Amino acid sequence: MNYSLTTEKELEQKLQSEAHALLKDGCCDYIIGFEQGSLPFTTTPLITKNQEDVNRLVVNSFIVNNLSHFLNEIKGRIGIVVKGCDSRSVVMLMTENRIKREDIFILGISCPGMIDLNKVELLLSKNSEDLEDITREGNNVVVLSDSKEILPITDVLYDNCLGCNAPIPQEYDILIGEASYLVTDKEASQRKINLVKSLSTEERWQYWKDEFKRCIRCYACRNVCPVCYCEQCFVEETEPRWLSPAPNWQDNLMFQVVRNLHVAGRCTDCGECERSCPVRIPLRSLTREMYDIVVDSFGYEAGKDKDAPSLMAGYESSEVEGVFR
Amino acid sequence: MAQQLDYEPKLVALLCRWCSYAGADLAGTSRKKYPANIGIIRVPCSGRVDPLFVFKALRMGFDGVLVSGCHPGDCHYQTGNYRARRRMVITKRFLEYMGIDPRRIQASWVSASEGSKFAEVTSEITHELKEIGPNELFSDNGKGTRTEITK
Repeated sequence: MNYSLTTEKELEQKLQSEAHALLKDGCCDYIIGFEQGSLPFTTTPLITKNQEDVNRLVVNSFIVNNLSHFLNEIKGRIGIVVKGCDSRSVVMLMTENRIKREDIFILGISCPGMIDLNKVELLLSKNSEDLEDITREGNNVVVLSDSKEILPITDVLYDNCLGCNAPIPQEYDILIGEASYLVTDKEASQRKINLVKSLSTEERWQYWKDEFKRCIRCYACRNVCPVCYCEQCFVEETEPRWLSPAPNWQDNLMFQVVRNLHVAGRCTDCGECERSCPVRIPLRSLTREMYDIVVDSFGYEAGKDKDAPSLMAGYESSEVEGVFR
Repeated sequence: MAQQLDYEPKLVALLCRWCSYAGADLAGTSRKKYPANIGIIRVPCSGRVDPLFVFKALRMGFDGVLVSGCHPGDCHYQTGNYRARRRMVITKRFLEYMGIDPRRIQASWVSASEGSKFAEVTSEITHELKEIGPNELFSDNGKGTRTEITK
Protein backbone atom coordinates (compact mmCIF):
# COMPACT_ATOMS: atom_id res chain seq x y z
CA MET A 1 0.00 0.00 0.00
CA ASN A 2 1.21 3.46 -0.78
CA TYR A 3 0.83 6.85 0.73
CA SER A 4 -1.40 9.05 -1.38
CA LEU A 5 -3.75 11.97 -1.32
CA THR A 6 -6.72 9.84 -0.31
CA THR A 7 -4.80 8.60 2.72
CA GLU A 8 -4.13 12.22 3.69
CA LYS A 9 -7.83 13.13 3.45
CA GLU A 10 -8.83 10.12 5.57
CA LEU A 11 -6.28 10.98 8.23
CA GLU A 12 -7.41 14.58 8.24
CA GLN A 13 -11.06 13.66 8.76
CA LYS A 14 -10.18 11.25 11.53
CA LEU A 15 -8.06 13.87 13.27
CA GLN A 16 -10.81 16.48 13.01
CA SER A 17 -13.46 14.19 14.48
CA GLU A 18 -11.17 13.09 17.32
CA ALA A 19 -10.24 16.70 18.13
CA HIS A 20 -13.87 17.73 17.97
CA ALA A 21 -14.84 14.99 20.42
CA LEU A 22 -12.04 16.01 22.82
CA LEU A 23 -13.24 19.60 23.04
CA LYS A 24 -16.90 18.60 23.19
CA ASP A 25 -16.40 16.14 26.06
CA GLY A 26 -14.27 18.65 27.90
CA CYS A 27 -11.29 16.30 27.91
CA CYS A 28 -9.13 19.13 26.64
CA ASP A 29 -9.13 22.89 27.11
CA TYR A 30 -7.10 23.51 23.99
CA ILE A 31 -6.22 21.76 20.78
CA ILE A 32 -2.87 22.49 19.18
CA GLY A 33 -2.53 21.40 15.58
CA PHE A 34 -1.84 22.66 12.07
CA GLU A 35 -3.98 24.66 9.68
CA GLN A 36 -3.41 25.80 6.12
CA GLY A 37 -0.84 28.61 5.97
CA SER A 38 -1.22 31.90 4.12
CA LEU A 39 1.06 30.69 1.32
CA PRO A 40 0.51 27.50 -0.68
CA PHE A 41 2.35 24.43 0.64
CA THR A 42 2.79 25.92 4.08
CA THR A 43 0.99 25.30 7.34
CA THR A 44 0.74 27.36 10.46
CA PRO A 45 0.03 26.31 14.05
CA LEU A 46 -3.62 26.33 15.10
CA ILE A 47 -4.28 26.79 18.80
CA THR A 48 -7.94 26.79 19.65
CA LYS A 49 -10.67 26.36 22.25
CA ASN A 50 -13.56 26.37 19.78
CA GLN A 51 -15.15 23.25 18.41
CA GLU A 52 -15.85 24.87 15.03
CA ASP A 53 -12.19 25.70 14.50
CA VAL A 54 -11.02 22.09 14.54
CA ASN A 55 -12.44 21.67 11.04
CA ARG A 56 -9.50 23.74 9.88
CA LEU A 57 -7.00 21.12 11.09
CA VAL A 58 -4.93 19.61 8.31
CA VAL A 59 -2.69 16.58 7.84
CA ASN A 60 -0.36 16.66 4.85
CA SER A 61 3.32 16.57 3.94
CA PHE A 62 3.91 20.16 5.03
CA ILE A 63 3.07 20.01 8.74
CA VAL A 64 6.72 20.62 9.48
CA ASN A 65 6.71 22.50 12.79
CA ASN A 66 7.40 20.98 16.17
CA LEU A 67 4.40 22.09 18.21
CA SER A 68 5.64 20.67 21.51
CA HIS A 69 7.32 24.04 22.07
CA PHE A 70 3.88 25.48 22.95
CA LEU A 71 3.53 23.06 25.87
CA ASN A 72 6.08 25.20 27.71
CA GLU A 73 3.83 28.24 27.48
CA ILE A 74 0.19 27.14 27.47
CA LYS A 75 -1.26 25.82 30.71
CA GLY A 76 -4.31 23.59 30.99
CA ARG A 77 -5.30 20.28 29.49
CA ILE A 78 -3.99 20.24 25.96
CA GLY A 79 -4.63 17.99 23.00
CA ILE A 80 -1.59 18.18 20.78
CA VAL A 81 -0.91 16.89 17.28
CA VAL A 82 2.55 15.32 17.05
CA LYS A 83 4.71 13.52 14.53
CA GLY A 84 7.43 11.02 15.48
CA CYS A 85 10.16 13.56 16.24
CA ASP A 86 7.74 15.93 18.02
CA SER A 87 6.61 13.12 20.30
CA ARG A 88 10.21 12.60 21.37
CA SER A 89 10.35 16.28 22.31
CA VAL A 90 7.15 15.81 24.31
CA VAL A 91 8.72 12.82 26.09
CA MET A 92 11.81 14.95 26.77
CA LEU A 93 9.65 17.66 28.36
CA MET A 94 8.04 14.99 30.56
CA THR A 95 11.45 13.62 31.55
CA GLU A 96 12.47 17.12 32.59
CA ASN A 97 9.23 17.64 34.54
CA ARG A 98 8.07 20.54 32.42
CA ILE A 99 4.72 18.88 31.77
CA LYS A 100 2.70 16.06 33.26
CA ARG A 101 1.58 13.14 31.13
CA GLU A 102 -1.98 13.37 32.44
CA ASP A 103 -2.27 17.03 31.39
CA ILE A 104 -1.79 16.32 27.74
CA PHE A 105 -3.68 14.27 25.22
CA ILE A 106 -1.42 13.20 22.38
CA LEU A 107 -2.87 12.87 18.91
CA GLY A 108 -0.06 10.99 17.21
CA ILE A 109 0.37 10.98 13.46
CA SER A 110 2.38 8.21 11.87
CA CYS A 111 4.60 10.48 9.88
CA PRO A 112 5.17 9.92 6.16
CA GLY A 113 8.11 12.37 6.10
CA MET A 114 7.91 16.08 5.45
CA ILE A 115 8.58 17.66 2.07
CA ASP A 116 11.25 20.35 1.97
CA LEU A 117 9.88 23.07 -0.29
CA ASN A 118 13.37 24.52 -0.76
CA LYS A 119 14.57 21.24 -2.22
CA VAL A 120 11.61 21.14 -4.63
CA GLU A 121 12.27 24.74 -5.69
CA LEU A 122 15.95 23.99 -6.16
CA LEU A 123 15.41 20.80 -8.17
CA LEU A 124 12.90 22.37 -10.54
CA SER A 125 14.50 25.84 -10.43
CA LYS A 126 11.06 27.33 -9.93
CA ASN A 127 9.54 29.54 -7.30
CA SER A 128 6.99 27.83 -5.08
CA GLU A 129 4.42 30.47 -6.08
CA ASP A 130 4.49 29.11 -9.63
CA LEU A 131 3.67 25.58 -8.52
CA GLU A 132 0.06 24.50 -8.71
CA ASP A 133 0.09 21.28 -6.78
CA ILE A 134 2.41 18.90 -4.97
CA THR A 135 0.99 15.45 -4.32
CA ARG A 136 2.46 12.18 -3.19
CA GLU A 137 1.95 9.00 -5.15
CA GLY A 138 3.69 6.04 -3.63
CA ASN A 139 7.41 6.71 -3.47
CA ASN A 140 7.21 9.66 -5.83
CA VAL A 141 6.13 13.24 -5.61
CA VAL A 142 4.15 14.71 -8.48
CA VAL A 143 4.66 18.43 -8.95
CA LEU A 144 2.25 20.28 -11.21
CA SER A 145 3.15 23.63 -12.71
CA ASP A 146 3.21 24.53 -16.41
CA SER A 147 4.58 21.01 -16.79
CA LYS A 148 4.21 17.81 -14.79
CA GLU A 149 7.32 16.62 -12.98
CA ILE A 150 7.82 13.39 -11.03
CA LEU A 151 10.48 13.42 -8.35
CA PRO A 152 11.59 10.50 -6.15
CA ILE A 153 10.52 11.12 -2.56
CA THR A 154 14.06 10.73 -1.18
CA ASP A 155 15.12 13.80 -3.17
CA VAL A 156 12.62 16.13 -1.59
CA LEU A 157 12.23 15.03 2.04
CA TYR A 158 13.95 16.99 4.79
CA ASP A 159 17.40 15.70 5.76
CA ASN A 160 16.25 14.83 9.25
CA CYS A 161 13.26 12.88 7.86
CA LEU A 162 15.64 10.88 5.65
CA GLY A 163 17.63 9.92 8.73
CA CYS A 164 14.58 9.21 10.92
CA ASN A 165 14.25 5.77 12.48
CA ALA A 166 11.07 6.37 14.47
CA PRO A 167 8.35 8.06 12.37
CA ILE A 168 5.62 6.61 14.58
CA PRO A 169 5.24 8.60 17.82
CA GLN A 170 6.84 7.13 20.94
CA GLU A 171 3.97 8.19 23.10
CA TYR A 172 0.37 8.73 22.06
CA ASP A 173 -3.22 8.41 23.18
CA ILE A 174 -4.64 8.05 19.70
CA LEU A 175 -2.61 7.12 16.67
CA ILE A 176 -3.91 8.56 13.41
CA GLY A 177 -2.83 6.26 10.57
CA GLU A 178 -1.56 2.81 11.37
CA ALA A 179 1.61 2.24 9.40
CA SER A 180 4.36 4.61 8.41
CA TYR A 181 5.15 5.19 4.75
CA LEU A 182 8.45 6.92 5.40
CA VAL A 183 11.21 6.13 2.94
CA THR A 184 14.61 6.84 4.45
CA ASP A 185 18.06 7.35 3.02
CA LYS A 186 20.72 7.49 5.73
CA GLU A 187 23.46 8.39 3.29
CA ALA A 188 21.59 11.45 1.98
CA SER A 189 20.62 12.61 5.46
CA GLN A 190 24.28 12.62 6.54
CA ARG A 191 25.63 14.21 3.38
CA LYS A 192 26.31 17.67 4.81
CA ILE A 193 27.82 16.24 7.99
CA ASN A 194 30.12 13.89 6.11
CA LEU A 195 31.26 16.84 4.05
CA VAL A 196 32.37 18.65 7.21
CA LYS A 197 33.98 15.50 8.59
CA SER A 198 36.05 15.01 5.46
CA LEU A 199 37.81 18.34 6.12
CA SER A 200 40.93 18.77 8.25
CA THR A 201 40.70 20.41 11.68
CA GLU A 202 41.71 23.85 10.38
CA GLU A 203 39.39 23.59 7.38
CA ARG A 204 36.49 22.63 9.61
CA TRP A 205 37.02 25.73 11.74
CA GLN A 206 37.23 27.85 8.60
CA TYR A 207 34.01 26.28 7.32
CA TRP A 208 32.07 27.14 10.48
CA LYS A 209 33.68 30.55 10.66
CA ASP A 210 32.38 31.33 7.16
CA GLU A 211 28.92 29.97 7.97
CA PHE A 212 28.61 32.04 11.12
CA LYS A 213 29.69 35.23 9.40
CA ARG A 214 26.16 35.18 7.92
CA CYS A 215 24.37 34.80 11.26
CA ILE A 216 22.32 37.85 12.22
CA ARG A 217 21.70 36.56 15.77
CA CYS A 218 17.91 36.69 15.48
CA TYR A 219 17.74 33.77 17.97
CA ALA A 220 15.02 32.12 15.87
CA CYS A 221 16.81 28.77 16.33
CA ARG A 222 16.63 29.15 20.08
CA ASN A 223 13.07 30.45 20.13
CA VAL A 224 11.60 27.54 18.17
CA CYS A 225 13.54 24.89 20.07
CA PRO A 226 11.24 22.90 22.39
CA VAL A 227 14.04 22.17 24.87
CA CYS A 228 15.36 25.76 24.94
CA TYR A 229 12.98 26.90 27.64
CA CYS A 230 15.34 28.64 30.11
CA GLU A 231 13.79 31.76 31.62
CA GLN A 232 17.07 33.54 31.04
CA CYS A 233 19.39 32.29 28.35
CA PHE A 234 23.14 32.66 28.87
CA VAL A 235 23.30 35.05 25.91
CA GLU A 236 21.17 37.56 27.76
CA GLU A 237 23.02 37.37 31.05
CA THR A 238 24.85 40.56 31.82
CA GLU A 239 26.58 39.64 35.08
CA PRO A 240 28.84 38.16 33.86
CA ARG A 241 28.38 38.94 30.20
CA TRP A 242 29.29 35.73 28.39
CA LEU A 243 29.22 37.12 24.91
CA SER A 244 28.72 40.36 23.07
CA PRO A 245 25.17 40.99 21.80
CA ALA A 246 26.59 42.34 18.54
CA PRO A 247 26.51 39.82 15.69
CA ASN A 248 30.20 39.16 15.04
CA TRP A 249 31.19 35.70 13.88
CA GLN A 250 33.14 34.84 17.03
CA ASP A 251 30.17 35.36 19.32
CA ASN A 252 27.69 33.91 16.80
CA LEU A 253 29.75 30.75 16.76
CA MET A 254 30.10 30.69 20.52
CA PHE A 255 26.34 31.10 20.95
CA GLN A 256 25.54 28.21 18.66
CA VAL A 257 28.23 25.88 20.01
CA VAL A 258 27.23 26.43 23.61
CA ARG A 259 23.54 26.16 22.74
CA ASN A 260 24.31 22.79 21.21
CA LEU A 261 26.25 21.69 24.26
CA HIS A 262 23.30 22.73 26.41
CA VAL A 263 20.77 20.74 24.38
CA ALA A 264 23.03 17.69 24.14
CA GLY A 265 21.04 14.58 24.95
CA ARG A 266 17.83 16.60 24.86
CA CYS A 267 17.71 17.48 21.17
CA THR A 268 15.57 15.01 19.22
CA ASP A 269 16.72 15.99 15.73
CA CYS A 270 13.40 17.58 14.74
CA GLY A 271 15.25 20.04 12.48
CA GLU A 272 13.30 23.12 13.58
CA CYS A 273 16.44 25.23 14.13
CA GLU A 274 17.66 24.74 10.59
CA ARG A 275 14.17 25.33 9.17
CA SER A 276 13.76 28.58 11.09
CA CYS A 277 17.15 30.01 10.12
CA PRO A 278 16.63 33.04 7.85
CA VAL A 279 20.20 32.89 6.51
CA ARG A 280 20.18 29.11 6.05
CA ILE A 281 23.09 28.10 8.23
CA PRO A 282 23.22 24.27 8.24
CA LEU A 283 22.41 24.05 11.95
CA ARG A 284 21.27 20.46 11.73
CA SER A 285 24.86 19.51 10.91
CA LEU A 286 25.62 20.59 14.48
CA THR A 287 22.59 19.14 16.28
CA ARG A 288 22.64 15.82 14.47
CA GLU A 289 26.36 15.36 15.04
CA MET A 290 25.81 16.06 18.73
CA TYR A 291 22.95 13.53 18.73
CA ASP A 292 25.27 10.93 17.20
CA ILE A 293 28.08 11.71 19.66
CA VAL A 294 25.69 11.16 22.57
CA VAL A 295 24.39 7.90 21.10
CA ASP A 296 27.91 6.71 20.38
CA SER A 297 29.35 7.62 23.78
CA PHE A 298 26.50 6.69 26.08
CA GLY A 299 23.92 4.86 23.96
CA TYR A 300 21.40 7.50 24.96
CA GLU A 301 18.67 8.50 22.52
CA ALA A 302 16.69 11.55 23.57
CA GLY A 303 12.97 10.97 23.97
CA LYS A 304 13.01 7.28 23.11
CA ASP A 305 12.19 6.10 26.61
CA LYS A 306 9.97 8.11 28.93
CA ASP A 307 11.07 6.21 32.04
CA ALA A 308 14.80 6.66 31.44
CA PRO A 309 16.57 9.43 33.37
CA SER A 310 17.97 12.33 31.37
CA LEU A 311 21.48 12.18 29.95
CA MET A 312 23.22 13.99 32.79
CA ALA A 313 21.20 12.38 35.57
CA GLY A 314 21.79 8.87 34.29
CA TYR A 315 25.38 7.75 34.67
CA GLU A 316 27.24 4.59 35.32
CA SER A 317 30.26 4.44 37.55
CA SER A 318 32.18 2.58 34.87
CA GLU A 319 31.97 4.29 31.53
CA VAL A 320 34.16 6.03 28.97
CA GLU A 321 37.22 7.05 30.94
CA GLY A 322 39.42 7.96 27.96
CA VAL A 323 39.41 11.74 28.14
CA PHE A 324 40.43 11.93 31.81
CA ARG A 325 44.04 11.80 32.87
CA MET B 1 58.63 29.18 14.12
CA ALA B 2 61.45 31.00 15.88
CA GLN B 3 58.92 32.91 17.95
CA GLN B 4 57.42 29.69 19.23
CA LEU B 5 60.53 28.78 21.20
CA ASP B 6 59.82 31.40 23.82
CA TYR B 7 56.07 30.97 23.53
CA GLU B 8 54.45 30.26 26.86
CA PRO B 9 50.88 28.96 26.74
CA LYS B 10 48.25 30.22 29.12
CA LEU B 11 46.07 27.59 30.73
CA VAL B 12 42.88 27.94 32.78
CA ALA B 13 42.31 25.26 35.38
CA LEU B 14 38.82 24.81 36.79
CA LEU B 15 39.50 22.88 39.98
CA CYS B 16 37.01 21.20 42.27
CA ARG B 17 36.94 22.71 45.73
CA TRP B 18 37.26 19.38 47.58
CA CYS B 19 39.94 17.44 45.70
CA SER B 20 41.86 19.08 42.89
CA TYR B 21 42.11 22.51 44.50
CA ALA B 22 43.49 20.90 47.64
CA GLY B 23 45.74 18.78 45.40
CA ALA B 24 47.13 21.93 43.81
CA ASP B 25 47.62 23.36 47.27
CA LEU B 26 49.51 20.24 48.33
CA ALA B 27 51.73 20.48 45.26
CA GLY B 28 52.65 23.96 46.48
CA THR B 29 53.20 23.12 50.14
CA SER B 30 55.26 20.05 49.30
CA ARG B 31 57.46 22.22 47.03
CA LYS B 32 56.66 20.36 43.82
CA LYS B 33 57.55 22.32 40.73
CA TYR B 34 54.78 22.93 38.23
CA PRO B 35 54.54 25.40 35.35
CA ALA B 36 53.55 28.98 36.09
CA ASN B 37 51.40 29.04 32.94
CA ILE B 38 48.35 27.99 34.85
CA GLY B 39 45.58 30.19 36.22
CA ILE B 40 43.39 28.46 38.77
CA ILE B 41 39.65 29.04 39.20
CA ARG B 42 38.05 27.29 42.13
CA VAL B 43 34.63 25.74 41.53
CA PRO B 44 32.41 24.02 44.12
CA CYS B 45 32.47 20.74 42.19
CA SER B 46 33.59 19.56 38.76
CA GLY B 47 29.88 19.08 38.09
CA ARG B 48 29.54 22.87 38.32
CA VAL B 49 31.56 23.30 35.15
CA ASP B 50 29.27 24.31 32.33
CA PRO B 51 30.78 23.70 28.86
CA LEU B 52 30.11 27.43 28.51
CA PHE B 53 33.05 28.14 30.86
CA VAL B 54 35.35 26.00 28.74
CA PHE B 55 34.34 27.71 25.53
CA LYS B 56 34.46 31.17 27.09
CA ALA B 57 38.07 30.60 28.11
CA LEU B 58 38.96 29.66 24.54
CA ARG B 59 37.00 32.65 23.27
CA MET B 60 39.02 34.93 25.55
CA GLY B 61 42.20 33.63 24.01
CA PHE B 62 43.47 31.15 26.58
CA ASP B 63 45.40 28.34 24.96
CA GLY B 64 43.91 25.51 26.94
CA VAL B 65 41.40 24.58 29.61
CA LEU B 66 41.78 21.96 32.31
CA VAL B 67 38.80 20.66 34.23
CA SER B 68 39.76 18.62 37.25
CA GLY B 69 37.79 16.96 40.01
CA CYS B 70 37.64 14.09 42.48
CA HIS B 71 38.15 10.51 41.29
CA PRO B 72 34.95 8.64 40.31
CA GLY B 73 33.20 7.53 43.48
CA ASP B 74 34.89 10.19 45.65
CA CYS B 75 32.67 13.16 44.86
CA HIS B 76 31.73 15.21 47.91
CA TYR B 77 28.26 15.59 46.41
CA GLN B 78 28.09 11.88 45.44
CA THR B 79 27.49 12.28 41.70
CA GLY B 80 28.90 15.62 40.51
CA ASN B 81 31.97 14.20 38.86
CA TYR B 82 29.96 11.60 36.93
CA ARG B 83 28.04 14.44 35.37
CA ALA B 84 31.27 16.29 34.68
CA ARG B 85 32.63 13.20 32.99
CA ARG B 86 29.67 12.93 30.63
CA ARG B 87 29.86 16.64 29.87
CA MET B 88 33.58 16.65 29.16
CA VAL B 89 33.33 13.63 26.86
CA ILE B 90 30.73 15.27 24.64
CA THR B 91 32.35 18.72 24.86
CA LYS B 92 35.68 17.39 23.69
CA ARG B 93 34.24 15.37 20.84
CA PHE B 94 31.94 18.16 19.72
CA LEU B 95 34.62 20.85 19.74
CA GLU B 96 36.83 18.51 17.74
CA TYR B 97 34.04 18.29 15.16
CA MET B 98 33.88 22.11 15.12
CA GLY B 99 37.58 22.28 14.31
CA ILE B 100 39.26 22.89 17.66
CA ASP B 101 42.30 20.79 18.55
CA PRO B 102 40.99 18.37 21.24
CA ARG B 103 44.25 18.80 23.20
CA ARG B 104 43.11 22.29 24.16
CA ILE B 105 40.39 20.76 26.31
CA GLN B 106 41.81 18.65 29.11
CA ALA B 107 40.30 16.81 32.03
CA SER B 108 41.80 14.96 34.95
CA TRP B 109 41.03 13.33 38.26
CA VAL B 110 43.28 14.68 41.03
CA SER B 111 42.55 13.90 44.66
CA ALA B 112 43.56 16.04 47.63
CA SER B 113 46.54 13.79 48.31
CA GLU B 114 47.89 13.79 44.76
CA GLY B 115 50.05 16.91 44.77
CA SER B 116 52.65 15.24 42.62
CA LYS B 117 50.05 14.06 40.12
CA PHE B 118 48.80 17.64 39.80
CA ALA B 119 52.33 18.82 39.04
CA GLU B 120 52.74 16.04 36.47
CA VAL B 121 49.41 16.68 34.76
CA THR B 122 49.99 20.42 34.43
CA SER B 123 53.52 20.02 33.04
CA GLU B 124 52.32 17.45 30.53
CA ILE B 125 49.49 19.70 29.38
CA THR B 126 51.76 22.74 29.12
CA HIS B 127 54.15 20.70 27.03
CA GLU B 128 51.33 19.62 24.70
CA LEU B 129 50.02 23.16 24.38
CA LYS B 130 53.49 24.38 23.42
CA GLU B 131 53.44 21.88 20.58
CA ILE B 132 50.05 23.07 19.27
CA GLY B 133 51.04 26.74 19.40
CA PRO B 134 49.02 29.79 20.38
CA ASN B 135 45.23 29.86 20.26
CA GLU B 136 44.36 31.95 17.21
CA LEU B 137 40.92 30.47 16.72
CA PHE B 138 39.04 33.69 17.22
CA SER B 139 41.47 36.12 15.68
CA ASP B 140 40.68 37.91 12.47
CA ASN B 141 44.15 39.30 11.85
CA GLY B 142 46.30 36.39 12.94
CA LYS B 143 47.38 38.15 16.12
CA GLY B 144 45.11 36.28 18.47
CA THR B 145 43.00 37.80 21.18
CA ARG B 146 45.53 37.77 23.96
CA THR B 147 45.04 41.48 24.70
CA GLU B 148 41.73 40.66 26.27
CA ILE B 149 43.45 38.60 28.95
CA THR B 150 46.17 41.05 29.87
CA LYS B 151 43.72 43.94 30.23
